[in-house]
Amino acid sequence: MVLLVSPSATDPQALFEEHVVPQLEVLYRTARSITRNQVDAEDLVQETLLRAFGAIDRFDGRYPKAWLLTIMRNANINRARKKVPDLLDDPELTFERSTRFAETDTPEQVVVEPVFDATVHSAFNRLPESFKQVVELVDLQGLAYQESADLLDIPVGTVMSRLHRARKRIRTEIAEYGLDSERTPT
Amino acid sequence: MIKKLFRRRGMSCDAVMEVLQSYLDGETDAETARLVAAHLHTCTDCDQETATFRRIKLSLASTPSPVDPAIISSLQHFSARLTRGELG
Ligand SMILES: [Zn+2]
Repeated sequence: MVLLVSPSATDPQALFEEHVVPQLEVLYRTARSITRNQVDAEDLVQETLLRAFGAIDRFDGRYPKAWLLTIMRNANINRARKKVPDLLDDPELTFERSTRFAETDTPEQVVVEPVFDATVHSAFNRLPESFKQVVELVDLQGLAYQESADLLDIPVGTVMSRLHRARKRIRTEIAEYGLDSERTPT
Repeated sequence: MIKKLFRRRGMSCDAVMEVLQSYLDGETDAETARLVAAHLHTCTDCDQETATFRRIKLSLASTPSPVDPAIISSLQHFSARLTRGELG
């Protein structure tokens, strides 16, 4: 390939190190949110890096995170086509089968932050994987609904319904533990 | 039409609960956000419910699961080889 502009202005290595390498952790976390496991997440990041490096000369240097997430989205669509998706389980069915807290007496202790957090995380861990995906993308990665939808290649309405149902399930467990107030949920 | 109704009578509790999650995520339009905020000002039940969901969101956001530093350094290594043209 012949460089048409001065090499210093578009040195791919320098551009990559400046714009992409600082985003590695964000990319990995996002990939882990999408794939739900470490090995696939690493594969997805590597594929994203390969594509990003191939396209770095066309990147204008603005919004590297958004640019990289778009690349990851396309890489993920490609990956999902090659592989039988393991997220096809119906969340409605699988969640109801999953284990729940054993019945205990209503805790009498005052509301303490660690108990609240632990209950939230415990409830989160028992959510269907497809629900965890959107919760992580929105609440942890701070992505907008539309960004999450683009990344997962699903309608924004699906992002909303999964996210909102996930939070309501967590909220139900909070209520079961009497962690919100004496008020019973309606 | 619906919005005009809201403006006159304020939002109902049900309507607030309907948009609460989007409201907490900053995903509603400004007018809806204003109507929700106005309702929360006057309705203890909805305000309390909002506080609980806000707290849940905070809790979910506050404890990102750790990333094994070895994975990041492995990806850095991958990047270095990539930019040196060692990966074809
Ligand atoms: Zn209300």
